[in-house]
Amino acid sequence: MRVKKTAYTLVDKAISSGDVYSAAAVYGISDGRRRKLLENMVFSKRKELLRLASWEHTPTEVLQLLSDSEDAFVTLRLCKNPKTPSETLTELYVKSFKDISKGVNLTTPIAKHQHAVTNLLAIITHVNEDLETLKAISQNPSANGQLLMELLSYPPQDEKYKVFDKNIASNPSASAEALKVIYDRGDAYARAAVIAHANCPALLLSDAESDSNVLVQRKVARKCVKLEVLANFVENKDTAVRCGVASNERSPQSLIKKLMVDSSFEVRRRLAKRYNLSLVDIDALMNDEDSWVRLWIARNKTTPLRVLKVLSYDECLEVRRAVASNPRCPVVLLEALAKDNNAWVRSAVAYQEKSPMRILVELAKESDIDVLSGVANNRHTPQSILQELVQSSESDIRRGVILNRNARRATLMPLLEDPYYLHRLMLVNNPMLNATDKLQLCEDPDFNVRFAAYSWFAGLEKSTKTWV
Amino acid sequence: MKILVAVKQVASLDEDFEIRADKKDVEEDFLLYDLNEWDDFSLEEAMKIKESSDSEVEVLVVSVGPDRVDESLRKCLAKGADRAIRVWDDAIEGSDSIVISRILAAVAKKEMPDMVFAGVQSSDQAYSSTGISTAAYLNWPHAAVVADLQYKPGSSSAVIRRELEGGMLQEVEINCPAVLTIQLGINKPRYASLRGIKQAAAKPIEEMSLADIGLSAADVGAGSSMSRVRRMYIPAKGRAQMIEGTIAEQAAKLVQIINEFKGA
Repeated sequence: MRVKKTAYTLVDKAISSGDVYSAAAVYGISDGRRRKLLENMVFSKRKELLRLASWEHTPTEVLQLLSDSEDAFVTLRLCKNPKTPSETLTELYVKSFKDISKGVNLTTPIAKHQHAVTNLLAIITHVNEDLETLKAISQNPSANGQLLMELLSYPPQDEKYKVFDKNIASNPSASAEALKVIYDRGDAYARAAVIAHANCPALLLSDAESDSNVLVQRKVARKCVKLEVLANFVENKDTAVRCGVASNERSPQSLIKKLMVDSSFEVRRRLAKRYNLSLVDIDALMNDEDSWVRLWIARNKTTPLRVLKVLSYDECLEVRRAVASNPRCPVVLLEALAKDNNAWVRSAVAYQEKSPMRILVELAKESDIDVLSGVANNRHTPQSILQELVQSSESDIRRGVILNRNARRATLMPLLEDPYYLHRLMLVNNPMLNATDKLQLCEDPDFNVRFAAYSWFAGLEKSTKTWV
Repeated sequence: MKILVAVKQVASLDEDFEIRADKKDVEEDFLLYDLNEWDDFSLEEAMKIKESSDSEVEVLVVSVGPDRVDESLRKCLAKGADRAIRVWDDAIEGSDSIVISRILAAVAKKEMPDMVFAGVQSSDQAYSSTGISTAAYLNWPHAAVVADLQYKPGSSSAVIRRELEGGMLQEVEINCPAVLTIQLGINKPRYASLRGIKQAAAKPIEEMSLADIGLSAADVGAGSSMSRVRRMYIPAKGRAQMIEGTIAEQAAKLVQIINEFKGA
């Protein structure tokens, strides 16, 4: 069937389907009489109206439309829907004053909503005394530094407002000024959160270097650049403080060397994740008694090939698997690991982007689901094998083919009939399939697939603008 | 050989909802319906027997409910069930699980299956009694929480493994015909193929009235039930409280609470 690239055809098709999800998908490209018909479909059943109001995929135009509803539960769901746009939230807030008698609290969900604009949050803060609402604003990243500073002006000695400091200390929008206020009057938890904050000013970090509280020291250890401070932390009794030094990118080599013999495997695991380890350090950690330390060395993209080769014989299968997954793993090691006696290790070889076709062809002869899923995912797998894997009874394997960027149209076509709805849904956006191929998905038995398909066609119309 | 699979269309709820005016249930608009999760496994177990058998096995799905239940029955047909029966009469409204069992048993007496499968429980009401009560009405042996089944069509007995507390399994030989309530995880339920869905759309769903199965309005409904819903409500908030503070503070408070409960 030839696809007619006109929005009207698509909208008419959605209207005649009677399906509210298809209607929602094309609403944004409709106009005039057709738009009215779609609106009637959306508003025809309260059950569907309620579902669309809370559904995370409902298009923003439809969420805006739903804000006309007089149903208090629809409105409440809109206020909670993470996709509801800023303008709609503002309108709903204004509307909530008119509908106050309905007794549904819309202010707190709006105050929590990350699309609520700063001005709206400021108005809510100024006209509202409700503690839960103010707490929501103190946690909302959409509140700007100035608004958060206003919240800090509530009397901190009052127990109920103390949580504002803690929430704002963790709010990414908190300004350096706000963080200083919190740090100066806060307990150890607040001070620690301030130090961990991305906007923490250098002055506060410097102050905190002498803090005796271990919670603060843990955060300082991760950010501090002063050798003498870090040197003290290396001797700290608290493992998490030493872990902080081990994770700190700026910790000098002299301290790293000391931590190499730390009694805690947690510290050594942190070291094994570092990208600037010396060869001597790597050699030491590759023989660590803790398998997770060896695993992090095997995963580390700076680990030399010589070490990867040794770890490819490790007694722990997760370490061998990590070697096979390492982007630097050479083909010669992959050849060996493809013959590992454990399928979980071989599956990592199958997923490895560097695995050449000859390895994948061999692995494709296996029956293990994890191995075959990897083969199905791998872009070096020949189409003939992918076409066989499409027939697998295991959904994980078939999904691997769908995720394979090199799977061609002819390979993917049978999957349009896949029993698992998620697979059909994933094919909607597959660039290898054309519009004609995807047309059948508009009539899929699953509403998620129908919605995705109509949305894809609507997007196509929007981009080509052939409908205007 | 015939296996009767009793299935139920269950309701689930979104976060915000209204209670019905009579206070006995949730307002219909807030309910989302789907096939009971346990019944997917019961049907799959029946399908496995059908597909591995040399002789002909008919899988019959039966449900009690209004028109909307057809959607769930079609899902079963799409997965390979041979026939679907829906029993309904307005008089059934308000029936408890024991009365539903009476209806299912009446269908079983008419259809004469060799086995009856049901889910261990329904996800919405969770009485866990329908399957077992059906066995009582039929005067058949029964086994609950079946996690494994070895049965050959035509055999006079089956070997089952029942899931017990503490990860224990109990192996039981049960005489057939029997009623088994099937536990989650006994198998891997299939998805309905698109072809199956299309074919199921054309298959008839047999509608049975009370008279068709030898019952009358007096046998069903709230009046004939041994239990009746008095009200449904959201209880007042208990002692739960939100743990506030920074992430580290929340973690510390949580550890403190756990230690207090442990007496540490």
